[in-house]
Amino acid sequence: MGEWGIVPSSVVLTSFQVMSRVFLIWAVTHSVKEVQSEDSVLLFVVAWTITEIIRYSFYTFSLLNHLPYLIKWARYTLFIVLYPMGVSGELLTIYAALPFVRQAGLYSISLPNKYNFSFDYYAFLILIMISYIPIFPQLYFHMIHQRRKILSHTEEHKKFE
Amino acid sequence: SIAAVASAVGTLCRAAQLGSSSGAVAALGGSHEALRGGDSGCKDKGEAVFLGQELTSLRLCFPQVEPHATIAEIKNLFTKTHPQWYPARQSLRLDPKGKSLKDEDVLQKLPVGTTATLYFRDLGAQISWVTVFLTEYAGPLFIYLLFYFRVPFIYGHKYDFTSSRHTVVHLACICHSFHYVKRLLETLFVHRFSHGTMPLRNIFKNCTYYWGFAAWMAYYINHPLYTPPTYGAQQVKLALAIFVICQLGNFSIHMALRDLRPAGSKTRKIPYPTKNPFTWLFLLVSCPNYTYEVGSWIGFAIMTQCLPVALFSLVGFTQMTIWAKGKHRSYLKEFRDYPPLRMPIIPFLL
Repeated sequence: MGEWGIVPSSVVLTSFQVMSRVFLIWAVTHSVKEVQSEDSVLLFVVAWTITEIIRYSFYTFSLLNHLPYLIKWARYTLFIVLYPMGVSGELLTIYAALPFVRQAGLYSISLPNKYNFSFDYYAFLILIMISYIPIFPQLYFHMIHQRRKILSHTEEHKKFE
Repeated sequence: SIAAVASAVGTLCRAAQLGSSSGAVAALGGSHEALRGGDSGCKDKGEAVFLGQELTSLRLCFPQVEPHATIAEIKNLFTKTHPQWYPARQSLRLDPKGKSLKDEDVLQKLPVGTTATLYFRDLGAQISWVTVFLTEYAGPLFIYLLFYFRVPFIYGHKYDFTSSRHTVVHLACICHSFHYVKRLLETLFVHRFSHGTMPLRNIFKNCTYYWGFAAWMAYYINHPLYTPPTYGAQQVKLALAIFVICQLGNFSIHMALRDLRPAGSKTRKIPYPTKNPFTWLFLLVSCPNYTYEVGSWIGFAIMTQCLPVALFSLVGFTQMTIWAKGKHRSYLKEFRDYPPLRMPIIPFLL
């Protein structure tokens, strides 16, 4: 939607988020049945759901040129809690899946084989978890920065009304 | 930051009288007073004045700039008062959104009146192409050998400094090493670069790519559990032939391209086939050097039957296709009589 000019989000950032969510659902939660009853799954599903309801309401109302301040406020404020909530749920889920991945050798291939290739899904998941360390703060502070910009801008507008 | 656009509007006033004396550099000391905001004394004297667009205005006064001054000379003048912006970092243009002026461009040949306005853009920290190439190619050469000799801490300790029993593994080491030695020598003695420098961050990006892939491929090829190719010696011989032919081809093209351009010049001409049969590929593609390079890596992939090598070839092919298409496009733009049969990288296809 970003590249079609319909909504003002960056394609790269949004694709990244979509990919990471598909990964969590498909390659972790769906693939490792044993984690499906974990509380962490509930945690990230609730966080994502609330976030998306607000985000799409925001886009819809913006396109209709009738954006209630409440929605704008919610979009740029609730993330403060929802983002860490979602990230915690995601990390805990991946962590819970690890022993089962190790045990079943899930999605892994070892030497020797005809194509001289190997892949250790367990190690890959650990790398993914580590990658949250540089990535999450950047995304979080980007949103905080956006919040300051957009919510204070509205304040100024209100002063002149 | 590297990406920051710092624009300063430069206004060059031509010398009021043509044939004015040199001494263009002598009186630069006076320019610093102008930096503090007073603008009198600069205007009507045929001097270069750079106006800053940001809040703190930078104004420099240059004494008379002669009409036959080149952009390179003007960049040098600018560096004297702003030493942090050495010439390689400066992009000067006539229009803020336009193309960069070339160092060889002469002031009086540009579409300017008696007053020329130049816009400055900081290209960020620069590093020479030669440095980047040498570093990015020396890495794989060295790293592959670490795996080949099974240096400790890579494979299990019982394998330290052991040697593979497969002939193809030794052959692969020779080919890989030869490839990078060839690249290093070409960088030092063959290539003639159009640009002296590239942005500094490229060296980190490029080295990560080359060194990372070299380590990844070398790990599997030299692994104690390496499996030789399915079709045995036949497969290895065929693949080796492909590799050698493509290496010779790639080298021939590099030599042909070098001969197109005299030393120290930056001329650009359409490359044509020479007596060397390897250069006949110019009949069908614009960038046969890339064609041969892809061919070499495909040969190496078949020879080692190693998936990471195939992936490396694929990534390289993607990047080279992008470059070839760009080069092809600029050939078409620059030369009206460019041979229509040629494709960028793969004959008839791509």
